Amino acid sequence: MPAEQRPQPAPASDAEPDARYTFANERTFLAWTRTALAFIVAGLGIVQLLPPFPGVPWGRHLLGVPLIVLGAVIAVVGYVQMIGNQRALRRREPLRRSSLPVILAASITALAVVTGVVLLLSATSRA
Amino acid sequence: MSGPPEPEEFDPGLARERTRLAWTRTAVAFAAVGAAVLKTRLVAGLIVLALAAVVWGLRHLFRDTFLGPGPGDDPDAGRHPERLLGITATVVAVAAVALVIAFLGHSPVTRP
Repeated sequence: MPAEQRPQPAPASDAEPDARYTFANERTFLAWTRTALAFIVAGLGIVQLLPPFPGVPWGRHLLGVPLIVLGAVIAVVGYVQMIGNQRALRRREPLRRSSLPVILAASITALAVVTGVVLLLSATSRA
Repeated sequence: MSGPPEPEEFDPGLARERTRLAWTRTAVAFAAVGAAVLKTRLVAGLIVLALAAVVWGLRHLFRDTFLGPGPGDDPDAGRHPERLLGITATVVAVAAVALVIAFLGHSPVTRP
């Protein structure tokens, strides 16, 4: 993990990058924004459209609420990343590795496990 | 970078077009959430749909990326990536609306 740069005025080498990199950075931000919106609509759909799980009355909220919260988190991290990427592009520095793929993989795995547990509980419930 | 400059270095027309399409896809994503919200909260759903229309309009309002100047622009123009914060703030607000719906359910207006 590279060390944090101390705050300083823009260095003399600060220059506008090739516009294609800037556009690519903007498209990446929009792609993460759409991912965040997809998480939100998925969480909302689970809570609103699914019938209650028998035996697990809070099951839909257990799945849907983290999805909605994750959507907000992904949107914010995507924005912070975009700002950092643009600064690195201007200074001709290497881009930081994105933390979002790990966040996505870990959260989707965790939600899949929780979903499996909820399904097992409701399948074996006597409600 | 070595070699002769490519035409796209002076006029990133393809990149600009791809970015406009990305904005359109993002507006569609907002509209999908708006439609889902509309199911239970009429006013909030209409607001989110209106926001989707604004996001769609943004791709026309701004010639170039938010993040840098275009050819012929004042070199200091457009260096405002923080303007995109409005998009992120909107997504967070939509998430808050979704949480309210998740915990409070249907609004009286749309209750069957």
